[in-house]
Amino acid sequence: MENLQLLAMIQAYTGVGIGLIIGLGALGACVGIGIMCASFLEGAARQPEMIPALQGKVFLLLGLIDASFIIGVGLAMMFAFANPLLSVVAQ
Amino acid sequence: MNTTNNGLATNNMVSNMMRWQLSATAVAAILALLLSGMHAFFSVIAGGVSVIVGAYIASRILARNEGDVEPSSVLINLLKAEAVKIVVIAVLLFAVFKMYAALVPFALIAGLAAAAIFSGAALAKTDKSI
Repeated sequence: MENLQLLAMIQAYTGVGIGLIIGLGALGACVGIGIMCASFLEGAARQPEMIPALQGKVFLLLGLIDASFIIGVGLAMMFAFANPLLSVVAQ
Repeated sequence: MNTTNNGLATNNMVSNMMRWQLSATAVAAILALLLSGMHAFFSVIAGGVSVIVGAYIASRILARNEGDVEPSSVLINLLKAEAVKIVVIAVLLFAVFKMYAALVPFALIAGLAAAAIFSGAALAKTDKSI
């Protein structure tokens, strides 16, 4: 019974953690992408001839900003499908 | 607006980015093979390839609308490509976690992180390939 309660607690807190990982990661990525897109539009409005050169850089930076979110999604999936914390109960 | 967007700079940058990602994944995979064995090696490859496939599909979506010169349509294409990239990566990771029984999760995260972080390294080498 004690093990069952421990298991339930670990799963519940892991669920909260997964939500926080994905939610805060998405929040940070959205703020970063918003700032960068605003800067891109501003730069494109000032110098339209720079749009082709800026496009590739914006694409790379989008990937870089999203990297933390993608890593967070990977970590969240690890906790969802192969939770290492559950090994405490198995012992 | 009489500018033309031939996309050459973008293509060069994307191919540079994919080279960096492949190199980072390969280094991480070799390290994992030496440290933890064959399953860790395949886990790193699975993580890295998920990001690389997502980035490749996003670059194809970007290349489809190369002629656009309007800032808003360029931006919408970029965001569309990024959204598709995230969905593809999430689906591939889900499939790996579900199907690969002997997965080493930390190795997969290492491969994923290496490929994702090194995608920005191409920014430093915009004119020459590695």
